[in-house]
Amino acid sequence: MEALQRFRDCLVNRHDVARGWKSQGRCVIGWTCTYTPEEVIHAAEALPIMVWGSLGDTKFADAYMPSNSCSFARSCFNAVLRGDFDYLDGFVENNSCDNRGKTYDMWLNYSKVPSVYFLNTPHTNTEKAHRFFYQEVVAFKEWLEHTFKKPISDDSLRKTVRVYNENRTLLRKIYDLKMKKPPLISGVEFLEIALSSLVMPKEMHNKLLDEFLSDVKQRSALPKGGVRLLVAGSVMDNTELVRLSESVGGNVVADDWCTGSRYFWNLVDLNGDPLKAIARRYLDKVPSSFMYQHEQRFRHVAELTKRFNVDAAIIFVIKYCDTHMFDAPLLRDELKTMGLPVLYLEWEHSMSGLAGLKTRIEAFLEMVGGVK
Amino acid sequence: MGASERRLKSTMGFYKNYVKKFYEDAHRAKAEKRPVAWVSSTFPVETLQAMDITPVWPENYASVCAARQVSVELCERAEREGFSRDLCSYSRCVLGSMFGYEKELPEGGLPKPDFLVTTTCACDTHLKWFQVASRLYKVPLFLLDVAYNVGGGDSAHLDKAHIEYYVSQLQELFAFLEKQAGAKLDSNRLRETLALSNRTSQLWMEVQDYRKTIPSPMDARDAFSAVFFMLCIPGSQLAVDYYMQLRDEVRQRAQDGIGVVEDEKFRLVWDNLPLWFNLKIFEYLNSLGAVVVAEVFSHTWAGSLNPSKPFESLARKYLPNLANSSIQRRVDIILSLVKDFRVNGVVLPTNWGCRMMSIGETIVRDVVYKKLGVPSLIIDVDSSDWRIYNEAQIKDRFETFFETLTRKQSGA
Repeated sequence: MEALQRFRDCLVNRHDVARGWKSQGRCVIGWTCTYTPEEVIHAAEALPIMVWGSLGDTKFADAYMPSNSCSFARSCFNAVLRGDFDYLDGFVENNSCDNRGKTYDMWLNYSKVPSVYFLNTPHTNTEKAHRFFYQEVVAFKEWLEHTFKKPISDDSLRKTVRVYNENRTLLRKIYDLKMKKPPLISGVEFLEIALSSLVMPKEMHNKLLDEFLSDVKQRSALPKGGVRLLVAGSVMDNTELVRLSESVGGNVVADDWCTGSRYFWNLVDLNGDPLKAIARRYLDKVPSSFMYQHEQRFRHVAELTKRFNVDAAIIFVIKYCDTHMFDAPLLRDELKTMGLPVLYLEWEHSMSGLAGLKTRIEAFLEMVGGVK
Repeated sequence: MGASERRLKSTMGFYKNYVKKFYEDAHRAKAEKRPVAWVSSTFPVETLQAMDITPVWPENYASVCAARQVSVELCERAEREGFSRDLCSYSRCVLGSMFGYEKELPEGGLPKPDFLVTTTCACDTHLKWFQVASRLYKVPLFLLDVAYNVGGGDSAHLDKAHIEYYVSQLQELFAFLEKQAGAKLDSNRLRETLALSNRTSQLWMEVQDYRKTIPSPMDARDAFSAVFFMLCIPGSQLAVDYYMQLRDEVRQRAQDGIGVVEDEKFRLVWDNLPLWFNLKIFEYLNSLGAVVVAEVFSHTWAGSLNPSKPFESLARKYLPNLANSSIQRRVDIILSLVKDFRVNGVVLPTNWGCRMMSIGETIVRDVVYKKLGVPSLIIDVDSSDWRIYNEAQIKDRFETFFETLTRKQSGA
């Protein structure tokens, strides 16, 4: 599985990948919300990458961000203050949650990133919201053109959309390998593949995805079977919790993370005005919890549950994510109504309290495995 | 004069005379089958008032429950249903009251809504909390989605596209309200309501202006009671009448040189919310010679409405609310309060369940100190959940802060 190793390498060496891109005289733009229309950045010949934190303490950010702020946002900001992202030419923030809205001010005031952009993002997908968001995406395109001196043509947007749609389609194909019993790939493997898509050029990622799909045909030793798990929550920028769940008898076969299935489930329509189609795709995709249409996310989870023959679900809510904390009891009830055992866990991005999480997951899987 | 004698006559018995009555009226409306709507903070409530829909403010109800010392039990009730302890205590408190509470609820609980109206203008929490209520009560929820005022401008300096997006949704809002209330909007009535709301805002700001006087005639404890009308029913004759009475009393005190504290040592700005369960903290501050002369909250809700441009002026009133704006807006408001009210110190309380209020206080502290040399005190508290509140620690922090201010004043 040579391709798999290369996904892993790219994850571990993500900053080298970005610096390598820069050394060719090109720009790198960071973002943290999957409602950022990356295609527009890509069409400006810049590399869009998702900003993540790292597991561990957030001593740099703690001087500025209170302990009740989102632990993911705090960890990202900590990485920025530490200098992990010093190579960024620009950063895009939005208001998809209160943490992000206010963290924009943190970036403006305390980071060294030369250009910070704010993309207003509606919390609904009515036609009025679409109209407003399209104007915002047009302004975003103009900012990119002006700041990075790269004109963005409709042709380059169309070309980008094809690359991005191919990426989404290939990821979906690999995702479906988990329908098999036992699944053809593990949850950790899939997450490594999906996460690497967020930190490297999509053309390179597509090539590796193709290679992986041909590699996987030769796979003889399948990962061992276990409790087929669906994991839900906001963002997952590391493999720690999936690894933990799979180490105590689970097989993560489906997910509802913004960096998982929700990232690639929906394509951009290739007909008509490309920028309009890009903007529309983001507001219409499987929604995050901040959207008015949150019940559509519950339906997505319910469909995954059936399609992937899920035995049990774990809802991982990152501290202190308001919108998911509100949705979690509702999603739990929906899944229980479908007859699924559900475990609800809150986790700190710093991974303090990991041992406690392990005990609870283990006990839960034993309970589920016992009644299976 | 004792502490209670220094409180304004107008705010004595405020709860009984106005707040309690407000909830009685709302229950009566419900019993008489007149439409009752739950409404979020920063929603243009004047639209409901113009349609004779009774607006009920769950946020205010949470502060009532905190003042009545039952908010923690209600929060725990919501936590038992799986709602995280880290969520906004207002929302947990109200959700708790909805899930059923074994004791008698303050004011008989909130009347059940016929429908809900919310906005993204204040925070994510309102939309999410109202979604839960909408599912539980099986009633429709209208969302007024709002562009984030990222430039931080005031009502005269807003993005045109943000105003257009807002205004375009007000048309839909009225269609929704007409359907729910089974009545047509009377545009004269809308103009009257806006004119009343306008007058309410003007009077409230007059009251605030008199607090620039040294010694200040009015304290935060009075303000956090009396601001009720600004939030809940600004477009009403009742609000106008009450604020006239309040204005007259505060003006008289200012003219007579009667202050909350006779010998004012420290004049403070208070950001965000008070500790609703412990409003006595303001009397404790008074006992140390400190008086809150301006709350950012009291300077957040006024707006100048133009009855001949109703939709646009509602957008201009609510869009620049600091909850919906970048930190620059909060910084600008606090800088001008510090200057205009001759303030020596700024109190920046965070709010455990509130990201919107908690993130950015370091920027406020740094900028206010850099520009005006005025120190700030950040205290980690919660408006309604006293389980994370340590009074001894907070009092220590205040005393240390006042020592710093004293040293600064004496030039040491």
